[in-house]
Amino acid sequence: MSCMKDLYFLFVIKTALYDFSRNKGRTFLTSLGILIGVMAVVLLMALGLGLKKYIQDQFDSLGANLVMVMPGDKQALMQGGGIGGIQFDERDVTKLRRIKTISSITGVYAKPGSKIQANGKTEAAEIVAASEEIVPVMNLEVEYGRLFEKKDSQKGQKIILISTTMAEKLFDTSENVLGKKVDLNEQSFKIIGLLKPKSSGLGSNGVDNHVYIPFKASYSINPDKKFYGIYLKTENKEVNAETKTEIENVLLKRYDKDDFSVLEQKEIMDTVSSIFNIINSVLVAIAAISLIVGGIGIMNIMYVSVTERIKEIGIRRALGARKSDILYQFITESVLLSLLGGFLGLSFSFLIVFGIQKLFPAYIDLMSVALALGVSSGIGIIFGVFPAKKAADLSPIDAIRYE
Amino acid sequence: MIKLEEVTKKYILDRETEFAALKNISLQIKSGELCAITGPSGSGKSTLMHIIGLLDQPSSGRVLIDGIDVAKLNDNELSRIRSEFVGFVFQQFNLINKLTVLENILLPTIYKRKDLGYSPHDKALYLTERFGLKGKENSFPNKISGGQQQRVAIARSLIMNPKLILADEPTGNLDTKTGNEILRLLEELNGDEKLTVVIVTHEVDVAARTKRIIKIVDGCLV
Repeated sequence: MSCMKDLYFLFVIKTALYDFSRNKGRTFLTSLGILIGVMAVVLLMALGLGLKKYIQDQFDSLGANLVMVMPGDKQALMQGGGIGGIQFDERDVTKLRRIKTISSITGVYAKPGSKIQANGKTEAAEIVAASEEIVPVMNLEVEYGRLFEKKDSQKGQKIILISTTMAEKLFDTSENVLGKKVDLNEQSFKIIGLLKPKSSGLGSNGVDNHVYIPFKASYSINPDKKFYGIYLKTENKEVNAETKTEIENVLLKRYDKDDFSVLEQKEIMDTVSSIFNIINSVLVAIAAISLIVGGIGIMNIMYVSVTERIKEIGIRRALGARKSDILYQFITESVLLSLLGGFLGLSFSFLIVFGIQKLFPAYIDLMSVALALGVSSGIGIIFGVFPAKKAADLSPIDAIRYE
Repeated sequence: MIKLEEVTKKYILDRETEFAALKNISLQIKSGELCAITGPSGSGKSTLMHIIGLLDQPSSGRVLIDGIDVAKLNDNELSRIRSEFVGFVFQQFNLINKLTVLENILLPTIYKRKDLGYSPHDKALYLTERFGLKGKENSFPNKISGGQQQRVAIARSLIMNPKLILADEPTGNLDTKTGNEILRLLEELNGDEKLTVVIVTHEVDVAARTKRIIKIVDGCLV
């Protein structure tokens, strides 16, 4: 019996493939609709996944136990609002340092959108000025040279740490760069260490365009000697609620509740992710509209196919085919047609993703593959069911008499 | 085996006019008969064949197959009887051009509901050999002659071991010599295998070769 089922399926597939090969142009154009739809959806998902992974990597490189204490209300900060209000100073850092679960802490002055110049070249950079404790706080590691030490913080020498990525941009090489000078806002700084790169791809927008200088060395560009925020690291791998409460309690003695925010990596990550997911879902939903258009194309051609084959349907009915046999045959054909488009769309997506991977962190996961093939089969069924029903409901006598 | 009781078939042409293709036909065809339904074109003989073959339903009257009133059967059950009880042979052969000779012969078996008790493939090979189609198994119907196509159609009608063969103008598209061969084949099936064979024809000499002639004019038996 199972052998018979196989034979049945073989006949259905063979009939479908015969029709496809007889109408190659038509078959291709019909599946093109699904091809484009699947490609749009899969590519957008691939870009979304890639971007999400990139952001995740950036956060992971800093460690999940990084806490940033910032001036201003958390809601406003999360929504990208300005930083303002109070200013932290060394007293806050000293008080917070007394919390046992904090392993390292430093006040930080940060200046994004700065320019770094050397070797006749100019690059965008974010200046981060802090004590030597920035090293454990930001998980900094050197490729060449050395990191900040306690004496550097005390002396306030004009020394700087840049990433190898930045060195390659400025000097075209990361070798023999130690000891060379770079200009930061018209101040000259000596390179003492090259940091290991933390991310790849997406050019200069990552953590690798951060340049680190001792806090005291920042006075020329930060004349008010103010802290942008306080960065700290906890002993545990993840920040626990008690540590957070302790930090808040210390600061509440001096400031109002709305004047500062204690931000965990995880929180920031979650917010960024959720915004990102929404944008990506909307884009994918828009792309999915083209799948519906593709489905309508399939439905249209299936109606044509049914009309062309009325006589064949009549013959099959005379030979004992049930309505359900005819229904099944046409649905199988429309699913095959749609799957063909889905498969081609997926193949092109893989090629495109492979091509752009060097420039942009995109990747296709198993879920996208399953979704693409699942959705295209689904479209084949949904849009094939009406034409197939029309074929199955033909009266055998009218069908076989049809010329 | 087949019994028609006062069968009438009407077609509605427009709101006021009706056309009766069959009027009060009552007849019985017994198991093992070789008979012809004959009459001029437009007399209703094809309609009668379609009703006997369960491709069409009468407007009134009863059709009984082995005592079962077919009006009480649903589409699935009618399909089953078409599959197991009747084998059709048509004037236009009605083979499916995208399937090979062997696949055309096997086509009814993919719609079967029960175990046949024999290998359809072996039987199909036996039939091709018996009907002189050996070597043509993998040819496509449009690459073989009309006589060969009709023999494929007869082989296809036999693959399910039916009790009744309904042939609608089986010689209509063939020259006299080939037509005679096909008729001889149908006679053999009736003689050797005791199959009931009903041939619809407008040709008097074709009808003359059968044992019983059912003549129909303007929808009435004469």
